[in-house]
Amino acid sequence: MSWAAHQFEVYAIQAHLPKKMIGRVSFWAIFLGDFTPDFLAKFWVYGFTINGVHYGADVPHQWHRGFPGMGFTHTLFLGIALTAGFWVWRHNRGFAIGFLLGYAAHALTDINDSVGVMLLFPWVVNWTSQTWAYAATIEGGKYLDAAAYYSSLGLAMDVFWLIVVLFSWRVLTREHWRTNVVPADAGVWAFLSRYLPERGLLAVYRSIFFYGVCRMIAWTSWAHLVARPIIDGVARIGYPFDLSWTGPHWIPALSLRHVDPWLAYPVAIGLFALVFVAVSKLWEPMGRSEQRHRAARTPAPTPVAVSEPNGGWSSGSSQEKAGEARVD
Amino acid sequence: MLTRHPRREPTLDSTLLTGAAEWCWYIVAAVSYITAGIWNKWLLNWLVGPVWLVAVVCLGPPLATWVRFELVGRLIGARR
Repeated sequence: MSWAAHQFEVYAIQAHLPKKMIGRVSFWAIFLGDFTPDFLAKFWVYGFTINGVHYGADVPHQWHRGFPGMGFTHTLFLGIALTAGFWVWRHNRGFAIGFLLGYAAHALTDINDSVGVMLLFPWVVNWTSQTWAYAATIEGGKYLDAAAYYSSLGLAMDVFWLIVVLFSWRVLTREHWRTNVVPADAGVWAFLSRYLPERGLLAVYRSIFFYGVCRMIAWTSWAHLVARPIIDGVARIGYPFDLSWTGPHWIPALSLRHVDPWLAYPVAIGLFALVFVAVSKLWEPMGRSEQRHRAARTPAPTPVAVSEPNGGWSSGSSQEKAGEARVD
Repeated sequence: MLTRHPRREPTLDSTLLTGAAEWCWYIVAAVSYITAGIWNKWLLNWLVGPVWLVAVVCLGPPLATWVRFELVGRLIGARR
């Protein structure tokens, strides 16, 4: 699994949208898409303990990424299905496209650990590059998982995504937020502005990036400066780094039945490119469909008698405008 | 003649944070969250992290203003 990478990729997507989508794809949808796979599957991976009784998955990695299990939550199959559901329900192009891009980014990033994801579900075989060890276990829980991740190439993955965002630093500016983010989610930001000043709204927008940076630093600091693990019977100050492939060596890399790891990157990159091309191709037809549905939902203007010298009739012009909002 | 500054209550004012002041509050939020998170790892989650930043950025500036005026008021009061 990836940690802060999932927070950074939300902004990376936002920063690299095709020109025609800038200012029109919902930031919150990208976030929700990226958040949903772990929201659906991860709570039971670590589980929780009450009065000495552990409640959670018997085999965490099977539950998280396998089938039977919740592995289908980390697949393009479910991402596309949920996107289609949102589209049929609301006909909101900016939301549907954002959700799909966020979901795809999450599912494809998770090929890097030793368990991987079922990229081509319903084909129940995992795709993994085995870049670092999947380390979520009942005994180790979240802490050992974090220590292993931030001692391995997982840390490099987080840093890579951080650098991608920092190279696109304008995505974090007030200007970008005002001109590109707010227009795509005007209703949400208008609602939040009832309770927060503008600096708070901007902080809300930046907060996921902030959380990613802070958790990366905090977990890495804890794992290497504060923790006192016993590894191979030796008490140590901090977990040792191991930036080798499928590291760290001091924990077994869990795995499920998978394809040749050499295939994982080409197929994942190819699929993401396919998603991007499909989204680009669907953008205009979805826009026309959204416009039709918006016009159909808008009630017909009710004639109102007025004592104006314009012939005595006026129509609900604001409603008409709502129905004719430009969607191309 | 010295006059006491009017007391200001901390409110969610609409002050825009820009430049150094903005950086300052974000760094305050990050350092405090990371420090708290290292020693209380349950704080490191999706909900607390974002809320922490928003709370610091929204409440910090008016709180600082209030503290500053309160201190100045007390200092002036002590001189009198």
